[in-house]
Amino acid sequence: MADLSRRSVGAKTDSGSGDLPRRVAWWLVWAYPPRFRRDVGQGLVDALDDRMRARRAAGASSAAVWARAVADTLRNAGAEWVDEVRRVRLKPDTTYHQEPSGVEHPTYVVSGFSRTADHTGRTAMDTLLQDVRYAFRLWRRRPGFAFVAILTLALGIGANTAMFSIVNAVLLRPLPYPNADRLVSVYGQTTAFPRGLLSYGEYEEIRKQADTFEAVALWFPQSVNLTGVDEPQRLVGTFVTGSFFDVLGLKAERGRFFTEAESAPGTVKPVVVITHQTWQRRFNGDASAIGQTMTLNGVPLTVVGIIAPPFDADSVPSDGYFLGADVFIPTAQFPAPRGLHAAGPVMLGVGRLKPGVSAARASADLEVIRQRLVAAGLQTTAGAQSSFVAQSGRTLGAEPAQEAIIGTSRTALFLLLASVGVVLLIACVNVSQLLLARAVDREREIALRVALGASRRAVTRQLAVEAGLLAVTASITGFVLGRWALAGLSWLQPPASVPIPTHVPLDARVLLFTGIVALLTATMCGLAPALRSARPNINRVLQAGSRRASGIGHRTRDVLMVIEVGFSVTLVAVSVLLIQSLLAVQQAPLGFDQSNVFTLQFRLPQNKYPKPENIARFFKSAIENVRAIPNVESAALVRAVPFSGNGGTVGYAIEGRPVPDPASAPQARFHIVTPDYFKTMRIPLLKGRDFTDRDDLQTPLVAVINDTFARRAWPGDDPIGKRFTTPQTPGPITVIGIVGDTKHYTATEPAVPQLYAAHYQVPLIFSSLVARVKGPAAGTMSVTNDIRKAIWSVDKDQPMWAVASLEATVARTQGQARFLALLLGIFAGVALLLAGVGIYGVTSYGVAQRTHEIGIRLALGASSERVLREVVGRGVRLTLVGVAAGIVSAIMMARLAAAVLFAVKPTDPVALALAAAILGGVSVAACVVPARRASRVDPVVALAEE
Amino acid sequence: MPLRPVEFHILLALASEERHGYAILQEVAALTEGGLELEPGTLYRALHRMLKDGWVAESARRPAADQDDERRRYYRLTALGRRIATAEADRLWRLVSLARTHRLLSHG
Repeated sequence: MADLSRRSVGAKTDSGSGDLPRRVAWWLVWAYPPRFRRDVGQGLVDALDDRMRARRAAGASSAAVWARAVADTLRNAGAEWVDEVRRVRLKPDTTYHQEPSGVEHPTYVVSGFSRTADHTGRTAMDTLLQDVRYAFRLWRRRPGFAFVAILTLALGIGANTAMFSIVNAVLLRPLPYPNADRLVSVYGQTTAFPRGLLSYGEYEEIRKQADTFEAVALWFPQSVNLTGVDEPQRLVGTFVTGSFFDVLGLKAERGRFFTEAESAPGTVKPVVVITHQTWQRRFNGDASAIGQTMTLNGVPLTVVGIIAPPFDADSVPSDGYFLGADVFIPTAQFPAPRGLHAAGPVMLGVGRLKPGVSAARASADLEVIRQRLVAAGLQTTAGAQSSFVAQSGRTLGAEPAQEAIIGTSRTALFLLLASVGVVLLIACVNVSQLLLARAVDREREIALRVALGASRRAVTRQLAVEAGLLAVTASITGFVLGRWALAGLSWLQPPASVPIPTHVPLDARVLLFTGIVALLTATMCGLAPALRSARPNINRVLQAGSRRASGIGHRTRDVLMVIEVGFSVTLVAVSVLLIQSLLAVQQAPLGFDQSNVFTLQFRLPQNKYPKPENIARFFKSAIENVRAIPNVESAALVRAVPFSGNGGTVGYAIEGRPVPDPASAPQARFHIVTPDYFKTMRIPLLKGRDFTDRDDLQTPLVAVINDTFARRAWPGDDPIGKRFTTPQTPGPITVIGIVGDTKHYTATEPAVPQLYAAHYQVPLIFSSLVARVKGPAAGTMSVTNDIRKAIWSVDKDQPMWAVASLEATVARTQGQARFLALLLGIFAGVALLLAGVGIYGVTSYGVAQRTHEIGIRLALGASSERVLREVVGRGVRLTLVGVAAGIVSAIMMARLAAAVLFAVKPTDPVALALAAAILGGVSVAACVVPARRASRVDPVVALAEE
Repeated sequence: MPLRPVEFHILLALASEERHGYAILQEVAALTEGGLELEPGTLYRALHRMLKDGWVAESARRPAADQDDERRRYYRLTALGRRIATAEADRLWRLVSLARTHRLLSHG
């Protein structure tokens, strides 16, 4: 080093106030404790200032200089504060002198770890802190290692935390209501509908007789029309009995709820309860909202109360299930043409069990009640409509509400959780390798230390602390990364069927999970190196060359590589399977042409259109007006648009054959359409004719059936002209035409019989318009506006909604598969990256260890190609083993996911072959680079390597 | 009673003459031929501790005027500090001798 002048560096002005480095130094020194500042603060400022100037003069950038100064300050100020705190806690006259800790620089003699454990003033905390500081020092020396290890683990832990947060929010957390564990859904069960609706009569009896229930209620969400405002609108309403609020334990924020009497048929009052959001949105949170009127479905209802939200809407998926509505209306206002008692099963049941009662016992109780109803002859009270109660095969049951809600998302979520677990495992394997490699590097130093008096226990302890520190840092980083990932997830707009709440709250369970994961990670990563290093063979290590004699055993290395490859293959294979499935779903023929078709839905207010003739007249006018729009090629009405989630089923009986038992009667999907529907949707008419305007209320009932219906009901015969009946229709229905099969709910459902009735013969107040538009969508918005205006010209107060293109509606149902595939693809990609890095690391380390040996071989005449081939060959063999293991576990995992797969078998060869090929390629590539380096080793250098 | 290496280096640097903070840093770097480049914070923490333990003290005297900067604080070894430095040097010498006997040294 050059002779250092002792003059002070850099000119100093007297006040120094215009001097940036000096001011920075002052600020930094402020971080130290007061006593320290008083004693040596001035000197430190000077030294910092000098140091920064010297570095700047030597050419370093300001940023680098300041960064070092800040780092130095953080480290030392922190330590000084810790000392300060300890100093205060001990007796003031104790001279606290810390034990020296480990290696500062390799060429200095090591002051070893203390062998004795009984030093005055030393606590376990001090030892821990010492180990921690030592670990930090080591990391500072090898920042690359620390960065890679922490980042790898953070990725794995973060992904797991994020995924678990979702699983926790959706599956594990109880519904956000008081006593949620006692909430059950009450249903009527038949062979056709395993979870069906209840009738009002059944509800009343249950309420009177059940002693397993504390409270029971009916509810049913349905769209309602809001009129009497500038723009008629549709709101989501829920028809509820007064007991609903009691069952869910809701409280009124203002006003009151309506009572049971106020919701019952006969004593119903024109009242409505609104949600907090509705109050904010429609009434601007004004206190005078109570007492105002909302005209819903044509009936003026007075607002009597506002529900206090029992939860934060953003943090609960699916709006808490029961409260996903704008307004709550008494049940008796439900649009039932002949009154609620005669309407049959039209509503959902929910109840709260008495404490300690199981759902099974409640079900048994319900069944007893049903038998009593049948015996008492309930069917006499409201005519044939109530005969359902006595339908054989109908039972009543109860199941925990959570069960009813979660359903299919469970599989998808667990699949994702498993994948993310695999990613973490791969990350752990990677970091294990890193730690092992480093432990080997430090073996010499550790052996030296042990020789100089450190206890083996101390060495192991230090390694354990380091692994633990790694895990803690990684889990904190990972936790933060995970939260960001969650925010990013909702940006990806997951579909409703994979319910991910907008805002995932911090749950103690999630923190606990993260903690456990961190612990497991630390154990897995640190165990191998700790075990190894605790028993080094000292003589061997100290006498032999640095790397030659020791090193990760061949076996360990090989096992690690096989594990990495295996896990990655599994993940990639399952992802490919899902992607294949998704593609199959997207290409499945739907039976109709969804391009260039627009839909909208509307519900006619009952009191405005009391008679079927009124409804039919509205429909006819509306369609005529829409057809008159220039860009509209054809238009029709249909009760339920395909893929909208709406639809109905009806049992049928073929004329001339024995009438089947209603509970086991064959079911057909039931559509109601106007003429030209098939033309608009481009559903092929295979035989016979379409409906015409002449098929109306005055003419005999006719129907069009689909191919499956025809083949099942009249195999080999011509169905045109044949007749059948359904429970709801007064007379026989004649078949006039056959159309092709179509899909209605999902693209992957099996073919079922479908029958179409004429809308002018069965005019119902709820319907949807479908219109095929000519030309390249001629400005999407303008066409839909024209359509709306056309309908408003028939009735200017008619609200409409769900204006959408049919393509978008269909695409939305594929949301779950697409989202799953996307997430799994991301996980597989990350796993692939980690595995590639890990394999590269393990191979290059192995090559580095054997440099000496390779050098000898090269010097003795082996060709470098031979060396290359040998290293790569070894890698290939291990890869094959890993791939084989991975394929087996991929098949097992795919079997579990079989529920989500469509048209793809769990053992699909394409997916497996693709995964094997990708992993094989990555693996071999990761081997080749270090292998090439090995084959190019200069024998002289290798031999001299010590 | 082993010293931390930082402390020993500071004592070494102050053994020949009194210095201010930055000069100590420079001297330590010179003595170790660039091997140990202390940061100011680390140095002053150790200095603070040694001040409290009475191993070093602020100097009442000042070096020659042309090298002097009045605002700087200079430090010197106390008698106790000198004794401690000597004790540590002896201890190290004994250890090194032991190592030499057992053929652990790569030099000499």
